[in-house]
Amino acid sequence: MSLFAFLQRHKKKIVIIVILVLAVLAVFTSGKKSKGNILDQAAGFVIAPLQEVAAGTANWFENTFTNRREASQVKEENEMLKEQIVSLQADLDRIAKYELENKKLSALLKIAQKYEQHESFGATIVAKNPGSWYDVFTIDKGSGQGVVPDMVLCTQGGLVGRVLEVSATYSKGRSILDSRSAVPAMSQRTGDLGVVKGDYTLMNDGLCRMEYIDAAAEIVIGDEIVTSHLSDVYPPGIIIGKVTEIKTDSNGLTKYAIVEPAVDLKHLDTLLVMEGGKHPQDPDVQMGTEQQEQTQEDAQ
Amino acid sequence: MRIFLVAVIILVNFILQTTVLPYISIAGALPHTGLSIVVSFALLRGSTEGAVTGFFTGMLLDIFFGMSVGYYALLFLLMGLVIGHSQKEFYRENYLLPIIFCLLATLVFESINFATGLLSQGEAHVVYFLLRMVLPEMLYTAVFTIPIYRFLFGINDWLELKEKYKYRLF
Repeated sequence: MSLFAFLQRHKKKIVIIVILVLAVLAVFTSGKKSKGNILDQAAGFVIAPLQEVAAGTANWFENTFTNRREASQVKEENEMLKEQIVSLQADLDRIAKYELENKKLSALLKIAQKYEQHESFGATIVAKNPGSWYDVFTIDKGSGQGVVPDMVLCTQGGLVGRVLEVSATYSKGRSILDSRSAVPAMSQRTGDLGVVKGDYTLMNDGLCRMEYIDAAAEIVIGDEIVTSHLSDVYPPGIIIGKVTEIKTDSNGLTKYAIVEPAVDLKHLDTLLVMEGGKHPQDPDVQMGTEQQEQTQEDAQ
Repeated sequence: MRIFLVAVIILVNFILQTTVLPYISIAGALPHTGLSIVVSFALLRGSTEGAVTGFFTGMLLDIFFGMSVGYYALLFLLMGLVIGHSQKEFYRENYLLPIIFCLLATLVFESINFATGLLSQGEAHVVYFLLRMVLPEMLYTAVFTIPIYRFLFGINDWLELKEKYKYRLF
């Protein structure tokens, strides 16, 4: 009798026994799986590595295919991000430019507030006169923006020059370094009067000359020079610069001083265009502070 | 075509000269590229075109920076006229002549400026004028003349070639 015939004959019994055994096993082994029994371990030992290999292979396939698929996406994304970087960089540059402009303009605002009665607005230097004789430049505001001849050009540091000619969209300005420029000036401390003139021998060094100072004047090196009340064009009290050198003229009657402008006129771009002339409420600088005190004492 | 190109060259030079060039000044000296262009055209094309080029180059300077309209225009016009007349036969490939003429032109130009300054202001600093203003500007302009002349020479050649076919001159 073969095994097959035996199984055939006791088929029902075997099935029932297996079912019972499984049922018993299921009942008794449930809830204590913390440690795999020997069967589990054996199975794990044999099958797990195979599973790992299979899973690895599957992963590899998946990765390669998805990589292929994603590569194009990443490329697209990369390009998009690059574009974004460029546009953001441009934004940053623009913001930095605005910041710089803001600083310059708010500095200009300070001097605009000092001369409140004089109407004023900002402007930018566009082009400069080629050649080393004269210091003439054009600014980007013209009669359309309200510029009229003889307006005063200055910065937060001090005087730059004046407007000479006005066109519809631009104006021609002349700095105080130009040898044809003459600004009635005075020493802030002593009230000594003079005229600040440009000189082409000093122009390249960015200096100018204060002439017609009285020989008895008490002006010294380091004195601050401001515009005087004697001018019809320049409002009084705008800082021009500092005295760096004092010499006596050959006639012995007058002195002249070399003045270093408070503004770096060689590297200038933004400036303030201010209405010229005098206003009654201008800062009072008609006399030097010392003399002013004296007159006050006299009055008392 | 020629008129258009020359106008563009003069304009572009004027814009560059008044905005960019001040940044490369050496010891306060600037190359007068406008002068180089007038000299080059006068030598390449003769007195008439030299004079016209000079007039417009000078006129631009007058309009934007001059104190009297016509001063620079007249000066440049005369310069183009004289230089154009002086040299009718020379080898255009030779760069020495334009350089020498540029040196001379700068010297004459600045001397006339000096003279007018003297007339209107009565101040003369001859040594300073010669050593600190004219000499650096002459040298600087001469250096700039080389590429400018080379460029205009090429443009002129190209234009003449076109005109030759257009008008069947030769």
